[in-house]
Amino acid sequence: MRTSEDSGRPRKIIHLDCDCFYAAVEMRDDPTLRQVPLAVGGAGGRGVVTTCNYLAREYGIRSAMPGSEARRRCPNLVTVPTDMPRYKAVSKQVMTLFRELTDRLEPLSLDEAFLDVTDVTDHHGSATLMAEYLRERVRREIGITVSAGVAPNKFLAKVASDWNKPDGLHVVTPDDVPAFVQALSVDRLFGVGPVTARRLKEMNVSTCGDLQAVAPDRLVAAFGKQGIRLHEMAYGRDDRPVVVTRQAKSVSVERTFDRDLPDYPACESMLATLAEDLRNRLARRPRERPIHKLFIKIRYSDFSTHTLERVRPDVQAPEGDDFRPLLDAIYPDDARPVRLLGLGVRFREDHAPRQQLSLF
Amino acid sequence: MKLTISRESLLAPLQSITGVVERKQTMPVLSNVLLVADDDSLTLTGTNMEVELVGRIQPVHVDQPGRITVPARKLSDICRALGEEAPIELALEGDRLHLRSGASHFTLSTLPAEHFPNVEEDAESFRLEIPQKDVRHMLEATGFAMAQQDVRYYLNGLLLEVSPDNLRAVATDGHRLALSGLDMATGIEEPRQLIVPRKGVMELVRLLDDVATPATLVFGDNHLRVTAGAYTFTSKLIEGRFPDYNRVIPRGGDKQMVADRATLKNTLQRAGILSHENIRGVRLNLTPGQLQIFANNPDQEQAEDALSVDYDGEELQIGFNVGYLVDVLNAVDEDQVLMTLSDANSSALMQAQHDEKSLYVVMPMRL
Repeated sequence: MRTSEDSGRPRKIIHLDCDCFYAAVEMRDDPTLRQVPLAVGGAGGRGVVTTCNYLAREYGIRSAMPGSEARRRCPNLVTVPTDMPRYKAVSKQVMTLFRELTDRLEPLSLDEAFLDVTDVTDHHGSATLMAEYLRERVRREIGITVSAGVAPNKFLAKVASDWNKPDGLHVVTPDDVPAFVQALSVDRLFGVGPVTARRLKEMNVSTCGDLQAVAPDRLVAAFGKQGIRLHEMAYGRDDRPVVVTRQAKSVSVERTFDRDLPDYPACESMLATLAEDLRNRLARRPRERPIHKLFIKIRYSDFSTHTLERVRPDVQAPEGDDFRPLLDAIYPDDARPVRLLGLGVRFREDHAPRQQLSLF
Repeated sequence: MKLTISRESLLAPLQSITGVVERKQTMPVLSNVLLVADDDSLTLTGTNMEVELVGRIQPVHVDQPGRITVPARKLSDICRALGEEAPIELALEGDRLHLRSGASHFTLSTLPAEHFPNVEEDAESFRLEIPQKDVRHMLEATGFAMAQQDVRYYLNGLLLEVSPDNLRAVATDGHRLALSGLDMATGIEEPRQLIVPRKGVMELVRLLDDVATPATLVFGDNHLRVTAGAYTFTSKLIEGRFPDYNRVIPRGGDKQMVADRATLKNTLQRAGILSHENIRGVRLNLTPGQLQIFANNPDQEQAEDALSVDYDGEELQIGFNVGYLVDVLNAVDEDQVLMTLSDANSSALMQAQHDEKSLYVVMPMRL
């Protein structure tokens, strides 16, 4: 089993998957759509359904089904056109929220991502609590639901997130793995589509338990390189790392308050706590680039949102006081209720060495 | 006081002495040069209270001996601007010094000679006679590494260390260090250390010529006095303890690279153009046979350059202030330079490939 770097511990991977993402965004923005079978896309004669809500799924409607077929199955199906810019914007919010927990994030698409939380110490280091926390925050702050799977690797985490969908969580601990895979249907495996599933069926293989009984060289003979993968997955093994392609340009934390902060002193009193959250987030990431700027984000009760940033290359671990000048500059002269307050740092974008070391 | 002197014999010492006099002075008399006319000589003195330079011109036609101080820079500027033909007559009339040369006539303000501060006399403890060029070379090889206005005041100067069989100069600003030694029998038994302030080192380099004629270095408890030709230079010493430089000279470097000094310097300077203008960090990537140099700045501009080097060790990435490396390459006076490294966070040792007299230590920048 692949372990986190040098530590020897099993990894903790969370797979997060937004439930019927496009449809969820549409239902969030127009609650009347919640009560009806809804398909996104597929309105025209030739278009296909990109996503549909769970009511529509009860009629047997699936992604990639032609719109005409969908309407045949469900004559009162409501169809809305796809609005990619809006989904992308929501996706960005979701990913940003995930990144507050860790930067070791690999997005798979707009609506799903793997997180490697092995080294995250928040929530007592419990990946289960982290997954619940992220699900809750997305529900509360973004207004859609997310299903999550927690497991020691990507393959199992992805299977697990599908286990209790929608709006569910499933955890596969390292100890659970043997039992979990024993009964796992092979069509749940990565790369096993209808064709491979049929050929496995012909070999009398329908669960991973069955698959374990097949000699690896037989699998290789039948499926080539994929055979080795199948053998590994049959035992719940998957060494693929969470691939972090993006290097964070900034790190920030923000908080939406249950009750608006009424005035400047109330905002000021939050700086230290937010800065501490920020430092914790910064401490979790490898510091390959130094801080270049500090910024503050403020959203008033009327939802108008403002940000301000200042160059502060001297800061290493920002304190609440470091943000006071920004708050002073951004907060208006008259008291204005604040709904959200955020603090962040932006990193330098050049790779040049900066910090001169000393002889003595 | 009244005397006549040729422009050329006055100008050179006057300009040297004006160098010691600082532009901004709290005491007006410190802007002045002290002129002392004796039977057949004129002595000029400038000081900033830390460093004093005395130049003696002889023979001079003196009609009337005397002592007076006049604004140094103005007198120097006038002499430089005068034609070469006519001699210069200096005459004190009342409290004004009249300078006449051909049709030119200048009247300068004066301050009494008694107001001019004397560098206090200091008991001599020992003296060394060394060819001027050797002293000069030693100071040039190390002086650039002195700190400027560092709160560790003892770094704003140059350490002279006299041992029974050698003299060493060491300078460091805490980021890089330069050391140059001269083997000689000094005649002293116990090693001595003294720190010459930055200003004194700069003036001394200017004063010493590239000649074998000896300079006399007289060491006192609080002063260093150097006599070379017609000049006597005195500098106060910095009190304080210089850091133990031996401790920071790296011994464990296992990666040795030899490069052509001029090529390395040019490559560094080219890449350095696109380094951050104040921080000046560059990345060096050393691989067998090749050294690559990368620079980039906050405007996202990038430089990438490379040169062939003699190296067959492990690959190493290390960051440096490009200015520190170029300073060393300017000071090394051989064609090939040897650089010894160990890892990205440890200092580099640099020296001329075949010259052990001088060595340089440069701390890297964190990548």
